[in-house]
Amino acid sequence: MDEILGEFIAETLETLETLSGEVVAWEADPADQSRLDAFFRFFHTVKGSCGFLHLPRFERLAHHAEDVLTAVRRGERQADPATVSAVLAVMDRIGALARALASDEPLPESDDDSLLDMLLVGGDERGLAPNADVAADAAPTADAAPTAASPPRASDAGPIIGRATAPPAGEALPDPAGSGRAGERAPRTIRLPLTLVDQLMNGISDMVLARNDLARRMRERAMDADLESSFERLSANVADLRDMISKTRMQRVDRLYAALPRMVRDLAQELGKQAKLALDGGEVEMDREMIEMVLDPLTHIVRNALDHGIETPAARRAAGKPETGALHVVARQSGNQIVIEVRDDGAGLDCAALVEKAIATGLVTPADAALMSEADKLDLVFHAGLSTAAQVTSVSGRGVGMDVVRTNIEQIGGIISILSTPGSGTTIAMRVPLTLTIIPGLIVHSGRHVFAMPRSNVVELLHQNSAMVSIETVGGARIATIRGERHAFIDLEDVLHLGREKMAGGPRTLMVIRSPAGQPYVLGVQAVESHEELVIRPAAPVIAASGAFAGMTLPDNGRPMLLLDAAGLAQIARLPLRETDGWQRTAAPHAEAVPEPTMQALMFRERDGAHRLIPLAVVDRVEDIAAGQIAPCGAGAFARLEDRLVPALNAGPPDAPRLKSLRLHAGEEQLCYLIDDVVDIIDVPLTLDVGLASGRLAGLVMVGEQQLEMLDPFALFAEARAQGPASRPAEPIRCLIPDGEDVWMRTILAPLLMQAGHEVRFGPPDADHAADVILCSETAPEEAPPPAGCGATPVITLGDDAQAAESPDTVYRYDRDRIFAAIARVAPPRDHATRDVA
Amino acid sequence: MNQSLFLFASIADAPIAVRASEVEAVVRLGDIVPVPLAPAHVRGLAALRSRVLTVIDMEARIFGKSGLGDDASLAIIANIAAHSHGFLVDSVSDICRAPADAQPVHGRIDPAWAPFVSGLVEYDGRSHLLVTLADFAAAGERAA
Repeated sequence: MDEILGEFIAETLETLETLSGEVVAWEADPADQSRLDAFFRFFHTVKGSCGFLHLPRFERLAHHAEDVLTAVRRGERQADPATVSAVLAVMDRIGALARALASDEPLPESDDDSLLDMLLVGGDERGLAPNADVAADAAPTADAAPTAASPPRASDAGPIIGRATAPPAGEALPDPAGSGRAGERAPRTIRLPLTLVDQLMNGISDMVLARNDLARRMRERAMDADLESSFERLSANVADLRDMISKTRMQRVDRLYAALPRMVRDLAQELGKQAKLALDGGEVEMDREMIEMVLDPLTHIVRNALDHGIETPAARRAAGKPETGALHVVARQSGNQIVIEVRDDGAGLDCAALVEKAIATGLVTPADAALMSEADKLDLVFHAGLSTAAQVTSVSGRGVGMDVVRTNIEQIGGIISILSTPGSGTTIAMRVPLTLTIIPGLIVHSGRHVFAMPRSNVVELLHQNSAMVSIETVGGARIATIRGERHAFIDLEDVLHLGREKMAGGPRTLMVIRSPAGQPYVLGVQAVESHEELVIRPAAPVIAASGAFAGMTLPDNGRPMLLLDAAGLAQIARLPLRETDGWQRTAAPHAEAVPEPTMQALMFRERDGAHRLIPLAVVDRVEDIAAGQIAPCGAGAFARLEDRLVPALNAGPPDAPRLKSLRLHAGEEQLCYLIDDVVDIIDVPLTLDVGLASGRLAGLVMVGEQQLEMLDPFALFAEARAQGPASRPAEPIRCLIPDGEDVWMRTILAPLLMQAGHEVRFGPPDADHAADVILCSETAPEEAPPPAGCGATPVITLGDDAQAAESPDTVYRYDRDRIFAAIARVAPPRDHATRDVA
Repeated sequence: MNQSLFLFASIADAPIAVRASEVEAVVRLGDIVPVPLAPAHVRGLAALRSRVLTVIDMEARIFGKSGLGDDASLAIIANIAAHSHGFLVDSVSDICRAPADAQPVHGRIDPAWAPFVSGLVEYDGRSHLLVTLADFAAAGERAA
């Protein structure tokens, strides 16, 4: 209630302020009909709101003033100076009362009757006023008598009260002090003509251009530092100024709300319903023009909620709800969007009825309907010609449907969504950009032409030769298939008849465009350059006529640029409209889209400079390793980390003394993946956008405006395994050398084995010290044959003769690699590193 | 006799007169950015300080094709229906007072001119065709 009261006070004071300028003019020419009408409307509004807000004192004043003005309008009474003065005195009093109300002071006790008397006196003078001797004793009832049955009339109408005596009540007004205090409570404001604000804005834009020009010139010459720093200061000031000026365009959402309480009240009465309206977020600010654009849709939605949403008191009682329905309008800022939600606790939308109607009108087939989700069904309400209203009421269902609301919202780059629970209510959310005139846009090149495309229309950017895109021509229509989804494909140059300049230049950029009026489509352009905040102005009708442009803008380089109209381009290219198969569109994200499950991925730079991703979960750590720690080995390489050898991928010739390595782990196994550097950790969808599964790559992931290759950890570990078994220092191979006296064995072979991490034991085998392999010399004395105790332990015989060592178990003693290979082969299943990395 | 201010200029070798009340300024424009899909008489967009002008080639509007070179840049600036326009002209001779009431056109003028000429204004011993800039700004049937 307080909010509404505040609204009323603000509105009243604002109107008074506007009218105050007219006062003098009215006095000069009391017969001026349009001014009279303005005053009449003011009193009428005050009277209406007061009845609703239960402010009898306001009401009484306004009522009488209205009566007098009615008489003047009908010509029954002259607008003589006395009447004018009296009316103005009443206006002043209403203003004083409103200010008192705003500052929470007790209403100033003053004699309203004397003011009213003055009103009547004016009439008496002409002898046209009603007989005055009724209820002469109607005491100054003021607030005590809310509906003063008989307005106090003055029987003892004194002398004619002229202008000089007009404000006898003035002495009772708390005027100077009161309004002064009110001024401290509320932010002080002044009213400015819009043209002035616009001129100011233009002036600032000129200044920005001049600054840019100056900056360019300064860059061309050698500048001294002093001048440069003063220029910097000036430049910053200009930027600040521009920000501030653009704020003058902002208005509180309160303005949107101003008309709602009254409308809800009247409508509820008309419909025989009860509803309580709550308004929140009135302090949120949005662009003046945007407020204008949202006003109608909002009004429509609120009307709908009251008409179709909230039930009659009887029905609500039956449903176990309070008789008074709740209607809640909330505005909030979310990033650079404003969200306005209208919630009611009414019956909710009848989904079944919607679908039935959609089938009846041929919008969907029953088969389609069966496949539609609840949300899709609710979305049907936005289609033309569909209304669940059983019958057309005087309030809604008259053909101006939700389809118009949606069109209006989408025209300004907004999104509308609906959420409804049968029996417990409906929520309609409108998301609209903060401002119409400054939008983020992408700069698009087509030969020598440069255009801007609103960022909000662009779903994604791709390169034409990206692996995700395939383009085919079918029966004259070009179709781009992106990640399995087909889109109509048009070239900007073709739509705009710019000739085939596109033939020049490298691969083109594809923009997936979401337009408010159609299906998403793919627009091919030569290049997309940059992202800029653009101040958009309307284009002249002769340019707008083609439908391809939504406006124009003047970027900082001073070369005018046209803003492309996504829907218009689709129309010119005769792409199918959404209405034909709207609910099948999947690419356009819904306002309340469920976020896709994501995982964290590490973005890094490969040693060849490419950016790739790897699931963060498999990365154990990122470490610096010295180039010397890495040893190539055949096709692969190993890194010596702490006390063990880990397969290293991407080893290549070291280009720096230190390398960065990703230590990947999969349980026991580890591997080093050498990279140039780590870039970032980001969230990516759990499912890849394109499954590729070739080599080390798992597929492609869209990250912002680029697509990145995701490494496949499975493939990496498989590759590492193929390169050689990962070391397991915990389980060295136990080598037994039975002939501990053999000098070569003891001094040459044994240290080699130990260096490689194996255990070496000398002496005869025994059951307590199991060995994995027994190494014998071919020339070993006969008395030391492999003793029986060793059972199945494999034996490797080392031969003296390189040529003769041909039997599988005999290895030439100076063929180190083969010795180690033989040890590894015969000692399964234990893995070991067979290389010496020293 | 009522006098009013006229701007005297020439397009397509024909002297024209424009009511000064329509005219905001006469400037040399910088770069003109072409506008795709626009009628032939729309030369493009040009920046005038922070304003964006729609540049109209009056000659192209009248005859369907322009005799102006690509480097034409002299333009009459006018605000029409809240949009700033620039109208390319060959030359501008003067701004002068002349009798406000245009004389009827004597003799038969080129039918291409006819829709745009509302009368003749005498100045400096010559007759000037009186035109209204707003007529040229509208989307015409000559649209390419």
